[in-house]
Amino acid sequence: MIVSWNWLKQYVKLDISVDELVHRLTMTGLNHESTGDVEGDIAIDLEVTSNRPDCLGHIGVAREAAVVLGRELTVPEVKFPTSKPAASDVTGVEVSCPDLCPRYLARVIRGVKIGPSPDWLRRRLATCGAQSINNVVDVTNYVLLEVSQPLHAFDFDKLAEHRIVVRRARPGEAIVAINQKKYELRPDMCVIADASRVVAVAGVMGGFDTEVSDRTANLLIEAAEFDPVSIRRTGRALGLSSESSYRFERGIDAAGLDWASRRCCQLITEVAGGTVADGVAAVAAPVAPRLPIVLRFAQLKRILGIEIEPEKARDILLRLGLAEVRRDATTVEVRPPSWRRDLEREIDLVEEVGRIHGYEHVPEDVEVPMTAAPRGAAERVESTVRHTLVAAGFFEAATMSFVDERLLESFRVWSSGKPLAVDHSTRRQENLLRQSLVPSLLAARRLNESHGTLDSELFELARVYLPAAPAGLPNERTHFALVSGRDLRELKGVIENLLVALHAGVTLEATNVERPEFAPGRGAELHVGGELVGYFGQTSDRLVAQFDLRTACCVAELNLDRLAGAAQLIPQLRTVPHLPASQRELSLIVDEPAHWSAVESAVRSAAGPHLESIQFLDLYRGKPIPAGRKSLHFSMTFRAPDRTLTHAEVDQSQAAIIDACKRGLNAELRE
Amino acid sequence: MDANELNKALADLEVLAREATEAFAAASSADDVEKSRIRFLGQKHGRIEEFEAFFKNLPKEGKKAFGMRFNEVKTALKQAHEQSVVRVRPEARVGATSSVALHSSAAVRFDFSLPGLRPRLGRKHPLTQTAEELVDIFGRFGFTLATGPEIEDERHNFEALNIPLAHPARDPADNFYVDDKTLLRSQTSTVQIREMEKQPPPVRVVAIGRVYRPDAIDATHSCMFHQIEGLYVDKKVTLADLKTVLRLFAASYLGHDVHIRFRPSFFPFTEPSVEVDMSWDLRGGKWIELGGAGMVDPNVFRAVGYDPEIYSGFAFGLGIERMCMRRHGINDIRQFYENDVRFLEQF
Repeated sequence: MIVSWNWLKQYVKLDISVDELVHRLTMTGLNHESTGDVEGDIAIDLEVTSNRPDCLGHIGVAREAAVVLGRELTVPEVKFPTSKPAASDVTGVEVSCPDLCPRYLARVIRGVKIGPSPDWLRRRLATCGAQSINNVVDVTNYVLLEVSQPLHAFDFDKLAEHRIVVRRARPGEAIVAINQKKYELRPDMCVIADASRVVAVAGVMGGFDTEVSDRTANLLIEAAEFDPVSIRRTGRALGLSSESSYRFERGIDAAGLDWASRRCCQLITEVAGGTVADGVAAVAAPVAPRLPIVLRFAQLKRILGIEIEPEKARDILLRLGLAEVRRDATTVEVRPPSWRRDLEREIDLVEEVGRIHGYEHVPEDVEVPMTAAPRGAAERVESTVRHTLVAAGFFEAATMSFVDERLLESFRVWSSGKPLAVDHSTRRQENLLRQSLVPSLLAARRLNESHGTLDSELFELARVYLPAAPAGLPNERTHFALVSGRDLRELKGVIENLLVALHAGVTLEATNVERPEFAPGRGAELHVGGELVGYFGQTSDRLVAQFDLRTACCVAELNLDRLAGAAQLIPQLRTVPHLPASQRELSLIVDEPAHWSAVESAVRSAAGPHLESIQFLDLYRGKPIPAGRKSLHFSMTFRAPDRTLTHAEVDQSQAAIIDACKRGLNAELRE
Repeated sequence: MDANELNKALADLEVLAREATEAFAAASSADDVEKSRIRFLGQKHGRIEEFEAFFKNLPKEGKKAFGMRFNEVKTALKQAHEQSVVRVRPEARVGATSSVALHSSAAVRFDFSLPGLRPRLGRKHPLTQTAEELVDIFGRFGFTLATGPEIEDERHNFEALNIPLAHPARDPADNFYVDDKTLLRSQTSTVQIREMEKQPPPVRVVAIGRVYRPDAIDATHSCMFHQIEGLYVDKKVTLADLKTVLRLFAASYLGHDVHIRFRPSFFPFTEPSVEVDMSWDLRGGKWIELGGAGMVDPNVFRAVGYDPEIYSGFAFGLGIERMCMRRHGINDIRQFYENDVRFLEQF
């Protein structure tokens, strides 16, 4: 809301600097945005929160200033001569939708002369950023900016049968608004009509046909109240907003309607001549009196944490326009004024007293009791995952939760269910909620390639959004994913290290899976304890082409919620062995299809009780190993907890291992 | 020279890189290692030499495109070679040695001016770093981390937060609705409600996470951003506790004393509501906006079954992006979501 310094001074004595005023207003709720000089006046832009529509007019702002500065507020008296025939004799108002328009007041002015506005009026509007149109329209805008009540002036003679019908739009109806654009209306919209057609979109914009023109002689002045929600929906649906709709959406002062209507008529006759018809044609439900509110003074201390004298609190409320109904030593009962619809409850009064008294009195150094704040399991696990991946050389990425269909389909391993989508005009393309983090990371890797970083190693830890269970919210899971130029074994090592870092006493089983996301033979499912926890592999040519990557890369994605369950957050010491171990190395030549896991498990089951660990060293193919065979080179550690093992014992285990591998795996010892 | 040729050379280079890396990794004797070295890195007929020649004949712009990757591959292969040399030494086999011993017999002095061989080092995203710091600080003040879903129902995103159906904040145009009843949360205040539903007072939590609003995207606005939200409910919590906690927070975050000022504001779920500013110099110092806060509205307490006559509480919300941008001199919010490594590696 831009207010004029000179204008404000009409209502309240301001013998302080502009800076001082805006500071005081800022500290009591009207946040200062900017100040600028306009033609000998000063335009002050104040941010008005949505609960204070009364401050969308100069009198409202002046009232705040008067309260803050301890001055009197002077509201102009409205008086003008009237003439017969009375308004109710020359026009009629019919409201068929009181739910959308609870009050409608029409006054008639005869014999106006349309012309340019006088300087004082033009300047007031200019300071507030409003263009001058003509003397009559300018007055309606002036009163809007004065008291935050939108008004509309119709060319009375262009209204069919000289009457007003407030109703819902009929199917197929349309209107050309004063901006000369045509709008199709919907039956849920409230319109102002005459006997035959729509003449205004209620509270949003007037019609072109009935607007005030140079030839207008007689006026119908509308002052009304419209349902805020209906105004908002209509404005949105039509893509229209105006100073009027902005105020109707926030609520106007129903008790002030008549004053605004009369004020408008008074000023029009002053600047455009004419006489006001006697009385008013109106359909208006009586304005219900505001209910009184009790403030217990003790609540001030309880909520604000400071002592405020009851007398001071009472004084603040009365200055704000609340009327005292009753008071005693511990409470005061007050009735809020009609323009303060935001005041309904005791807590509202606590805030009023607090903000006018000043929050600078609230101390910033009280004693706040201590309390325990344990770190939760998820927090610890996520922190460990991040640390481990960063130490492994990965950069953490943060990508959008939204993807387009192409991205969603590119890597779709977790769900084939219909993706969740948002419905919003700003997201026609990327409207889907992702089901995997991998596509976003591949896109980020591509972006890095285009910037010359060919080896970006990225990870992300974030939610994926899978379709809802039959009842309840969608299935949101925390995943983490990696993209990397490293080879499959290196990347698998990174994932294994994560399990180590989490002290997850479980084995990660990777089994080959053929999927379009992965290159043939180079994709795997990851299981822990028989449960699927992730996918891992080298991107297929299709994926490389889709993301326009220079080369294939490796990706992995794991369900962190599942891994977290296996994490041991407080590891327990296992006794560090004090007896020496025996190391043995073996190279076994086995048939090509045999997996290392088969060799490992054959070794473990044949080794006897003293095999402590087994470590893969090398895989070799080529001369002198015959085609279709490969050599696996590994070391084994043997140890007994209570004694040093003899060579003979270890030899015996080794022999058993070799024997088992020969029999079970067609293995042959490589000399 | 056309782009196809360059792309093919780059692809061939990757093949070479993979084969050579595998060969060095698979080498099990000094002989193997040496054979692989001659085959890939040899000065006369090593396969890398073909690319060297190709590179020399490239025009200037091709040199730039190809050279970076070529040098990376060359360096990586040299490292792979060095590692395999160390690995196949007899004393390295059992893993009982350190590489220090391997080089100690060298006759020449080590050139300490050579750059170190740096292991790869990643970074946490700057938003994570900021978020973790905030959670850590509030943790010291007794606030436990809480989480909640990003896709929320209307009760948690609106109704229980004292935002009735007619409120403009519920307009579908201002939210990302997933269906009639659920939407992407527009604020982390939803977690307040979930925490209070879960447990009786006292409650002292912070929630952190992604929130979504259909703002037009520019240097300071994104349709997705991160918030941290704090809630403290107990029998005697006042606005003075809020001011104190926020002052201690700001002082901890900045590392020096600051002052806090409240400007009246409006949020449906708090009353009184305030905008919070901080300043480190009360004599004419600038006030910097920290976030929004207030005392929990009695209607919010009623919605979760707390008695507002017995309990009071405060809530505050801060924008992670904004704090991170100010802290590190970042001037475009979009950089957070691009994930350019040249950006990420600076934090």
